[in-house]
Amino acid sequence: MLKDITLGQYFPGNSIVHKLDPRVKIILIAVLIVMLFVTNTLIAYLLLAGFILLTVYLSKLSFRMILRGLKPVLVIILITGILNLFYTPGVEVLRLFGVLSITREGIFTAILMVTRLILLIAGTSILTYTTSPMQLTDALERLFSPLKALHVPVHEVAMMMSIALRFIPLLVEETDKIMSAQRARGADFDTGNLLQRGKALVPILIPLFVSAFRRADELATAMECRLYQGDKRRTRLRQMTLCPMDGIVAGVCVAFFLLVLYLQQTA
Amino acid sequence: MSENTPILQVKNLTHIYSAGTPFEHKALDNVNLTVERGEFVALIGHTGSGKSTLIQHLNGLLRPTRGTVLFDGRDIFESKARLRTVRFHVGLLFQYPEYQLFGETVEEDVAFGPGNMGLDNYEINRRVENSLRLVGLPSDVASRSPFDLSGGQKRRVAIAGVLAMEPDVLILDEPTAGLDPRAHDEILELIRRLHRKRGTTIILVTHSMDDAARMADRLCVMKKGALFLTGKPEEIFQHADALEQSGLALPQVTQVMQELARRGIAVNPACYTVEQAAQAILAYRKGDPLC
Repeated sequence: MLKDITLGQYFPGNSIVHKLDPRVKIILIAVLIVMLFVTNTLIAYLLLAGFILLTVYLSKLSFRMILRGLKPVLVIILITGILNLFYTPGVEVLRLFGVLSITREGIFTAILMVTRLILLIAGTSILTYTTSPMQLTDALERLFSPLKALHVPVHEVAMMMSIALRFIPLLVEETDKIMSAQRARGADFDTGNLLQRGKALVPILIPLFVSAFRRADELATAMECRLYQGDKRRTRLRQMTLCPMDGIVAGVCVAFFLLVLYLQQTA
Repeated sequence: MSENTPILQVKNLTHIYSAGTPFEHKALDNVNLTVERGEFVALIGHTGSGKSTLIQHLNGLLRPTRGTVLFDGRDIFESKARLRTVRFHVGLLFQYPEYQLFGETVEEDVAFGPGNMGLDNYEINRRVENSLRLVGLPSDVASRSPFDLSGGQKRRVAIAGVLAMEPDVLILDEPTAGLDPRAHDEILELIRRLHRKRGTTIILVTHSMDDAARMADRLCVMKKGALFLTGKPEEIFQHADALEQSGLALPQVTQVMQELARRGIAVNPACYTVEQAAQAILAYRKGDPLC
């Protein structure tokens, strides 16, 4: 049940998207996000949607997986759509119950916002689906390393992030196990009112916290035993090097984004 | 249900994890298993052979991808209510059960199961006291926090938590993992006592052939998600090569006896407990080659 959470999960693969340098990937996704916010015409959205679909196709992920990633944020998307539908001033086309009015602008903004959100999530999930958490944090550390000159603890933050990411599946697994164990003793998590359900969580949360602290403690000891002391003279096992393919992909994407901006201007 | 119905029946059970994703993994492949009332079965297998997946089907924690599980001749997934009753009849003790303790006091933790069964206070107290005594914990422990106890004691509290439900079937997943030799023997002794005195049906998951041979009436060897060998210990140990292929070894004492036999000392090699081996060797010294 808990294992079905796919948002932010890595699916190993061997596609061109998987192999792309994670730094390039992060920057391109960041640009894509900006693009989604600066564009507001139909043609731009069609092109960007096409771009995302093509990337999904190239990464050999299944479209079902992308859709499943959208499920947890479905409520937010719906609320955004509904609010925009009713609260955008403009030419009224329909009035409901005397107070709610739907405007032509409202319909247009609602569609725009919903599409924008869906594309945002689909786009960013491509990044997390095709990049391992380790690669992601390594890349972030490298991208932000200029800040070290300003005494920003970039390495430490990156290390904390990678540990946190590393521990998510472990804790999910642990929660599953504890839930199973308490279920085996007749615990019931699915019925009762809010208070009863809240109470039913105690037998899960306490063991979970106890084990999280124990794990943290053990990990800290293990790291110290291997002489970890932060960023001091630390070298890397996997060196990130840019190869010509990264340049080509980045070039093509940037050219495409510029084209979209140009078409948006002229439209 | 009649006395002759097997207490647990597993029919054509297949379980696939994460079906439809790149992580798809077939953990169980068409497993058939019948456990009779009062039997002591040991489930043995290499890590990842599907033991843990199998036992989680026996009290309905996992739903089969294909196949059925019957308790007392009836499908355990018949209804929600049925599933809940089955959980009280089939007690399942997970690996490292002490990590699932949560109660402020030992008493409170052990009372969790009986409380969920909807028993009255008098009965709950009786069961808590009984099961704490059964696992050999001194009575003053009841009011202490489970987190202050030693590892071995915590394990006992966790076992007491399952025993307090007085299940008909008790499934234990590596109940002695990580314990010192003395605690190991004590826990096994406790399980044996439960089986003899209460007549509880026991399914013991282990990868120690020594324990399995010493304790169980019947062994079930699992390999790559399938039931690979099943039978009495002496029957199983005739397939030494097959066992080795599935990453398991014969009990140490059987290995010693086989080596003796190989070196021309005419002892009976089909011994799997130290007592049997001692008898076989004594018999040999008296000039009688068979024990």
